[in-house]
Amino acid sequence: MAATSPLEAGTSAAATAAAAPVGGADPAILIEGLAKDYGPVQAVQALDLEVHRGEVFGFLGPNGAGKTTTIRCLLDLLRPTAGRITVLGLDPRRDGIALRRRLTYMPGELRLPERMTAAGLVAAIGRLRGGFDTRRRDELATRLDLDLGRRMRDLSSGNRRKVALLLAFLADAELLILDEPTNGLDPLMQREFLRLVREARARGTTIFLSSHVLSEVQRAADRVAVLRQGRVVAVGGVDELRRRARQRIDVWFDAPPPTEELARLPGLVDVAVEDRRVLATLSGPIQPLLELLARHPVLSLLVEEPDLEQAFLDLYKDAA
Amino acid sequence: MTRRWWELIAGPFRASWRAGLGWTILLVLLIVSTVAFWPAFRGSSGISQAIDQLPGPLLKAFGLEDFGTAAGYLRGGLYEVLVPLVFAAAGIVFANTMTAGDEDAGHLELFLAQPVSRMAVITGRSLAVLGWLIVLTLVTVVSQLGSDALFGVPIDTGRVLVTIALCALLGAFDAGVCIAVAGASTRPGLVLSAGFGVAYSSYLVLALFQLSPLLDPWRHVSPWDWALGGDPLTNGGDAWRFLALGVGAVLLAALGIVGFDGRDVRSA
Repeated sequence: MAATSPLEAGTSAAATAAAAPVGGADPAILIEGLAKDYGPVQAVQALDLEVHRGEVFGFLGPNGAGKTTTIRCLLDLLRPTAGRITVLGLDPRRDGIALRRRLTYMPGELRLPERMTAAGLVAAIGRLRGGFDTRRRDELATRLDLDLGRRMRDLSSGNRRKVALLLAFLADAELLILDEPTNGLDPLMQREFLRLVREARARGTTIFLSSHVLSEVQRAADRVAVLRQGRVVAVGGVDELRRRARQRIDVWFDAPPPTEELARLPGLVDVAVEDRRVLATLSGPIQPLLELLARHPVLSLLVEEPDLEQAFLDLYKDAA
Repeated sequence: MTRRWWELIAGPFRASWRAGLGWTILLVLLIVSTVAFWPAFRGSSGISQAIDQLPGPLLKAFGLEDFGTAAGYLRGGLYEVLVPLVFAAAGIVFANTMTAGDEDAGHLELFLAQPVSRMAVITGRSLAVLGWLIVLTLVTVVSQLGSDALFGVPIDTGRVLVTIALCALLGAFDAGVCIAVAGASTRPGLVLSAGFGVAYSSYLVLALFQLSPLLDPWRHVSPWDWALGGDPLTNGGDAWRFLALGVGAVLLAALGIVGFDGRDVRSA
């Protein structure tokens, strides 16, 4: 697991500077002051981001937050209005060919040539990349339960997604850029995807995972950046984000609850007492609560698993 | 040629085989069915005289002068309007589909994310358009010369080849217009409009300007005039006509390739 940085809303550079790189000194992705305007619309504004080599980096945000625009700038599909981008030590504009040789990209909005078979598309991309390992191709097709002989137009959206996943994981790339990779995949395939991500990470591959599916990022990523209206509002470790998340607490006492002590407990809010039952929301460490409860007769304690989604929503509330 | 370049050219070429087959069938049917009527016109002074009685400007505009001769018949029936129009339309449609059409459909993104330059991708597609125009040229040559032999059309083979080559270059020029516009715009509608606009207006300029002594000198601004204004079936083709169309097509395509390299790629 990567070392995590303190979660600092809106100060991504500071956050990333505090984090120890997973592998190698220079970052896999370094974005400084990136801005991209579409006429009067500012899709991305003053975005700073650093992704360490060898980590799985979650890029979170709702639709329209600027995730895809940022990714398309990394690939030189879009030309930034301002800012500087370095990917694997290279400038995407100047060294685009050399850079794209070392990375693979899975687009979020998948539009694959309708009349081509999956095998035909893999072969075509293989010719552009200097060839693929056919054994690895077949192994991935089996794992993804994908029939390579079928035409794109005959494939469901989930199966098309599998074709794109196969292409992304087939090349032995140093960096995988995956934009909404599990859209349309069934739960079994989502698990397979997570296995592929873990295997790639174990090989030292850096994975930049853009998603609005929080549970997916929660399971896969070491660190996350949260994007809102084209700005990074927070960067940090997933564990840190989870710690920051609010937890629902449900305690049954075997005696009248210690309401005064509970009211003084740091981080415990929305306390509701129903006879001997206490419902509350806890943000921050749980240790003080456990110490308090240990001094009282407790029949049961229910603590809901902290959810990134809640932390994510909290961040948005804070940033708004 | 490296495998990478081969894929950049052959990929879009293969993807357009249905359209290519359609244009091929159209050209073969058009040429064979027109030439098949030549024996009915040959030596029939009545039909020639009837056509000659049409107003002079009309005869000029539609290339119907000397309709009783083999060159006049092929010019009026095929090479004044129809065959160059098919080449122009094919060039425009191929160029639009392989550039702005594919970009608009989101098909370029996956290829542009590979270790190839944008310039190489669009150059490959421009060469694929050229490849299809060469195929259509060969189809036209075979259909025309075969039909001429089958139906006994007495015409100089060299001049037929020159005329077909000029029609193909006109198609390449119009395709070049589309690639140039696609370099600046991601809208297939705009690219098609520009291509057909240039093709149609250049035909109108040639057909109509020659009817007015005042406008006649200006017909030379028309690429259609560069291709067919000198009546190549009768007179052969001047070198400058090949150069003007060929160099024009290359410059326009180069403009589009440079333009595409300098702008954002449209997302799906």
